[in-house]
Formats: sequence, structure tokens, C-alpha cells
Amino acid sequence: MKTKKRTAAGTGSPEPAISLRNNYRVRRNIWKNRAVYLMILPVVVFYIIFRYIPMGWLSISFYDYKILKGFGGSKFVGFDNFVYLFSNSSFWQALLNTLLLNLLVLLICFPAPIIFALLLNELTHRKMKKAIQTVSYLPYFLSAVVVVGMIYNFLSSTSGSINLLRQSMGMNTINFLQEPQYFRPIYVVANLWQGIGWSSIIYLAALSSVDDTLYEAAMVDGASRFQRCIHVTIPSILGTIMIMLIFQIGSLITVGFDMTYLLQTPTNLSVSEVLTTYTYKLGMTSSRFGLATVVDLFNSVVSFALVMLANVFSKKVAEVSIV
Amino acid sequence: MVKYMKPSKGEKVFDIFNMIFLTILGILFLYPIINVVAVSFSSSSAVLQNQVTVFPVQFTTTAYSKIINNASIYHSYENTIFVALIGCVLTLLATCIAAYPLAFCEFYGKKVYSMMIIIALWFSGGMIPTYLVMNSLHLTNSLWALILNTLFSSYYIIILRSFFTGSIPMSLIESMRMDGANDFTILFRLVIPLSKAALATIALWIIVLHWNEFLPALMYLQDRKKYTLQMILQEIILQNQGALSGASDSARINAEGQMVIPTQIQNAVIVVSIIPMIVIYPFLSKYFVKGIMLGAVKG
Repeated sequence: MKTKKRTAAGTGSPEPAISLRNNYRVRRNIWKNRAVYLMILPVVVFYIIFRYIPMGWLSISFYDYKILKGFGGSKFVGFDNFVYLFSNSSFWQALLNTLLLNLLVLLICFPAPIIFALLLNELTHRKMKKAIQTVSYLPYFLSAVVVVGMIYNFLSSTSGSINLLRQSMGMNTINFLQEPQYFRPIYVVANLWQGIGWSSIIYLAALSSVDDTLYEAAMVDGASRFQRCIHVTIPSILGTIMIMLIFQIGSLITVGFDMTYLLQTPTNLSVSEVLTTYTYKLGMTSSRFGLATVVDLFNSVVSFALVMLANVFSKKVAEVSIV
Repeated sequence: MVKYMKPSKGEKVFDIFNMIFLTILGILFLYPIINVVAVSFSSSSAVLQNQVTVFPVQFTTTAYSKIINNASIYHSYENTIFVALIGCVLTLLATCIAAYPLAFCEFYGKKVYSMMIIIALWFSGGMIPTYLVMNSLHLTNSLWALILNTLFSSYYIIILRSFFTGSIPMSLIESMRMDGANDFTILFRLVIPLSKAALATIALWIIVLHWNEFLPALMYLQDRKKYTLQMILQEIILQNQGALSGASDSARINAEGQMVIPTQIQNAVIVVSIIPMIVIYPFLSKYFVKGIMLGAVKG
């Protein structure tokens, strides 16, 4: 191979001549596009350093990684981290909590914005529709810290309005944030409050682009408003619903860190410890980077597989796909 | 919608119930925010007796006077503004130069380039490796870590690419090339001025993202002086969990707050932290509906 190349560059026998001309064309194209290459240079550098090197560093999961020693000084331990983690019940507990929390979100927080959008779409009063819509996405712009702060206010056992209400009705106070059984409802309600308006935007946009003639045809056929909703409206936004579903399924094992972490109390950890917070604590608090990276790797691989699976599924069922 | 048929009785009933239901929902969206504002302006006795709902009771600004001179809140505010503004400008620029070649240029390696961006959308190195890479570059404990963390985002790049190809005709680009303009000139003189709406959307997204981000701040910032607003907020709001370093201003506030009126101070801090979001909200609601549709075009 090497010699062939050298002759190609040197003399130019018939066969290499073509590649020489090709080469020349490539070089001319590159020179012509030098501004473009200059443009993508920082992009490529960034992606390599901050996206692809971290992917490579997922191999930390095979090391007993010490931050001060780096790769060279850290001990290669093979699958020890994997064995340790997968035989550790706290990992499975975190995974189970993650899945349960996300299933709840999928069951409640996923359909809610669709229903909200449908109801809003049926609202005949234009100004009212606009007003409610505008108000509905305000919570989305609050940070998790602020939302959790509000939750603390409402649920506080000494000054929270819920508990004061309970007291005035003669009931005992409940320390909602300390009791494990309330964590999931609180999380779901908070997510619902924050996300329903924002998530409904995309459905509302899809609804507004439904062809009016379809409704006219349905009306001529004597379809009631409910029937029109079932047979015209919902099928027309099914594609959008499927795409959102793919995204939702793709993030089935990722729970937003901020809200969960901030709602965690020592006593509700049995239900509130999810994979992201578990990774954070393993890595950042206990400096067990090897173990934490195993969780990261697990997370990345499973999320990727889930997206691809959901994509294939949706391609078959609804003929919609994202990749 | 077209109305041919008279609404039936059932439909009328539905309309009324729907209206009532959605109005209640609308109130529920707003109430917690209004309540926070009201509590922050109310006297401590009114707060403790749970009298405050929509309007302040026994109006007072003591909570605000306590936090307004607080050095750590002031610093964190500055830090967050720095990250949000510098981050916004740089990310916009970065997104433009990354999306432009994808939209308008044919060059060797374009396939690889676009794969590079798309793969990062679906697969990531995860929390810990990213942190360790940042750490090995000595970028931790710096506000730049927060900016670099999201400097290029595949999601924004793909959205902007769709917008570029959808709204700017290729012939326009070609004619400028004929006139001898290079790609930088085309990008800055033609494409960016024509994409103001999309760029405004992305800019607002980035500002909101940086304003509210918590995990990156928690991971990358160790020095209290570098803490962003959300970090300080977290300490003040969730005192029982916040690790308080002894002599700091925030600790003093917390100590005082715990004795007298923690709820008021917490609410006042929340209000102070969301004011910028409320201020840009009219712009947000104007632009992002369009923006989210840009995203929907190509997913």
C-alpha cells in the first residue's frame, strides 16, 4: 500500500492518475470551502473535547479511578465495578424508583397536556383561550429550586397552608416531605403543574393546523362534536403524539435531577433515590468515580436502546419516526 | 371552526363545564406564584396565621430590606447574569456557525460532521465522565464551566438548521456567492439578519436555561463566591439541607430567618429570583410558540 501511494504522488501511472485528479479535485473543493472548514473547526473541536472524549471516558467504569492519578495511575479492575454495582441492592432500588417514577409520569403527565390541549381547543371564547394558554406556561419558567421552595411552603408541617387547613379541620399534621409515600404524588403534581402548559403548546399547534374541510365533511356526515374529536382531531395529531411518546420512552430511565434531589429528605430516600441522584452521590460525594461511571454507562446505553426501540415501534405502528 | 349545526344541549353543557374547568386550572397555574409574592410582602404575624392568600396582609417590605444588602445574594445575582448573558451570546454565535454549514454548504466530510452532531443528541458521556474531563482541563470551579457545558447543543443546532433551510432560499445564498462573498459574510450579512425570530427564540431558551440550571452549578462550582443564584436560593429555601459555611452572609440570614420569619425571607428571595423571568415573559410567550414549532419540524 505504502509504495503504491508513493508512486501515485511521484510519477502518476494510469491508475493513480485518476486518484491524482480526484485528489486535486478534493483539494480544490477543500480550498474553495476553506471558510466552511474554518467555521466547523471550533464545532468539531468542541464536540471532540466535551462530547466524544467523555464518551470515551466511560471506560472509567473499568478502572478504580482516582481523580488525582488519572488513567495512568488508576488501577484497571475489569468488570469489578459492574459486578459490585449489579450485586448491590441500592443500585436496583434506584433503578426501580426511576422506572416507577417515570411510569407514573408516562401515565399521568404524558396524556395530561394532550387532554388540556383538546379542551382548550374546544373553548369557543377566543380571548379566554389565549389567556389560559399564556398563564399555563408560566410555571415552566421557574427553576426546580423555586418550585420545591413553593412545595416546602405549602406542605410545611408548621406553617404550610395544607397542614394549617388540616389543623383547623381537627386533623393531625403530616410532614409530607418526610413521609416516603407522599414523595411520588408530590413529584407528579409538581411536574404536572410545571409542564402541562408547556407540553400542550406543541399539541395546540398541531391542532390549529388540522384542515377545516375535514371538520366540514364530518359535520355533513352528521358527526357530533365528540365524534369529530374522536375521528378527526385525535387522528390528525397522532403523529405528534407518537413523536412525543418516543421522546418520553427514550427518557424512561432518566429522571430530572434537580427536582428529585431537592425533594429528597433522609427519610424518603427509599423511594426518592433515582439513578441520576445515585450517580451524583456515588461520584461527586463519595468520589467513587468508577462505580458512578458504570451507572452513567448503563444510563446512556439503555436510553439509547429505548429511543431506537420506540422509534422502530412507532415506525411500524404509526408510520412516524424521528431518526 | 365552521359552525353549520346548532349546538345540542349536551354540547352547551360541555361548553360551560369546560369553561369552568379551564378557568380553575388557569387559577391553579397562577395561584402559587401570586401567593409567594403576597407572602413576601406580608407581616410575619399574618404569615404565621395563614391569612395571606392573594393579596399581602399588613403590607411590609422588611423581608426585602433584609436580603437587599446581602452580599452573597448580590454576588450570585451577578454570577448568574454573567453566565446567562455571556452564555447566551456565545451559544448563539456557536449555534449559527455550526448550523450554517449543515444548511447551505456542500463540502467533503459533511456526512461525518452531521453524524457527529446527531450522535451526540442520542448518546452522551454522562455526568461523571463529563465532569472529569472538565476537571482535567481545570475548568471546574469557574463560571466558564457552566457556559462551556452547553455552548454547543445538538438540539439547537438541528432546530436552527431546519429554520435556515426552511426560511432562506438557497438561490439567495448562491447569488451572494456569485458576487464573491465568502461564507462568513453570507452568514453575518444575510443569514443572521434574516433569522432574527429563530435566534430570539433560542436566545430566550438559553437565558432561561442558564438562569434556572442547578445541577451543573452544584457539580462545577465549589467556591461560594462563584455560586449562582439557584445555589444560594437552594441554601436559603431548603435550610435544613443546605450546607452552610459558618461566617458567610447567607448563614447570618438563615440564622435570623430561622428565629423570626423564614417563610417571608424565602418568599422574598424567590420573588427576587423570578423577577427577570417575569420581565422577559412577554417576549418569551411571543417567540417560543413559534420556536417550539421549529423544533417540531425535524424533531
